[in-house]
Amino acid sequence: MTTFLKLAWRVSLVTALAFAFAPEGRASVDDAQSFALQAAEPYVKEGFQVREDYWGGDLAAGEKKAVRQQLFKGNEYWFWLGTEVEAAKVSVHIYDSEGKLVEQPDSWQKGHFAAAHIMPKSTGSYFIIVEIEQSPEERTHWALVYGFR
Amino acid sequence: MILFVRISKLSIALLASGALCLNAAEAPKRVDIKQLSKKVDDVVVPLPNEVFGALNKLGGVNWHEYVRNDKGSNFTERPRIALLLGAVIADGFIAVQAEDAPTVKEIGQRVLNLAKGIGVGNSITPHAKAITEAADKRNWVGVRQELDRTQNSVQQAMNEVHDEKLSQLVSLGGWLRGTEVLTAVVNKRYSEEGSELLHQPDLLVYFENKLQAMPEFNLKLLNDIHTALIEVKPLIDVGDAHISAASVKKINDITTRLGDAIIKKTP
Repeated sequence: MTTFLKLAWRVSLVTALAFAFAPEGRASVDDAQSFALQAAEPYVKEGFQVREDYWGGDLAAGEKKAVRQQLFKGNEYWFWLGTEVEAAKVSVHIYDSEGKLVEQPDSWQKGHFAAAHIMPKSTGSYFIIVEIEQSPEERTHWALVYGFR
Repeated sequence: MILFVRISKLSIALLASGALCLNAAEAPKRVDIKQLSKKVDDVVVPLPNEVFGALNKLGGVNWHEYVRNDKGSNFTERPRIALLLGAVIADGFIAVQAEDAPTVKEIGQRVLNLAKGIGVGNSITPHAKAITEAADKRNWVGVRQELDRTQNSVQQAMNEVHDEKLSQLVSLGGWLRGTEVLTAVVNKRYSEEGSELLHQPDLLVYFENKLQAMPEFNLKLLNDIHTALIEVKPLIDVGDAHISAASVKKINDITTRLGDAIIKKTP
């Protein structure tokens, strides 16, 4: 089985289990992760290795969180953000250590999914800023995964 | 039925998000990083193969030279096992770069034994098997993925039993081994592009802070690593300047010494 199929199977299984066994209103960051992995899925076919680890939590609408990340010049990175709250609107953006927006223009935002793309011009620390822009929930789970090639 | 409807809806959403290359939402062109500082999580420790991948793109690396066959000593101290485990997983990524299937398989078994020694063997058994199978098929992408899964499973298992500090030592062991090899490669054929990959000052600060918060382990090796990180920091925290060939050599000397200490029992 290819890595892509394995990932697709894992995503489907995680999603199915999350929805089959989690009662309404008892979602978790793990559910958000399954959505972030869904957003990542098409990129695996393009050779991106998606890290197993992920970062997540919960935020109120309008609240932001930053993740500091060491990136290496020469690599190409995508960061994928997801939440299980389908009516939510989320965003993810990449800034350098000076606070300058440095993501590629093909970064995208689509409801409860968002992704940011970078080919770092220098090796060093970057800030990945996630935001729950809108949500009907008081607190909204989010999860961020990334891949590189 | 409801489950299938939901999954279908998710698939449609996925296709929409994947197929449409939407422009990024209007984001501020600049943010005040200092204002965000209270909301910033710890720096994320990269996998060794992230830096190896970048290094490989600079060309001319004979990865076979860096494959390590020394299996290391058998330790009883859990912090030492954790450090060695991280280093051995990094060795796995090096063996993958070299496409050395026998070594990859040995490393899979070594990782399993170390994980058992630290009490998290159960979470690793399927990964060790998958590493062997992927190596037999020379499926290097698969081996890389399984090594990542192995490290993640080990660390998750440690975190679940509140052994977060051991989990951090796994990351540290991997980072030190990765840095040892990175500096060896760049030292052999210096280039500014290669030495730039060492520009990781926030990671050093992260590991320094974590080591300071582990007084209970009281191991000479951990003290030595802490001292070494302080010694390395000014060599790589050079702002916009280039990291010199002399600095690369010095960092290689330091990390090689630490690497030897991690795998060998000291008298």
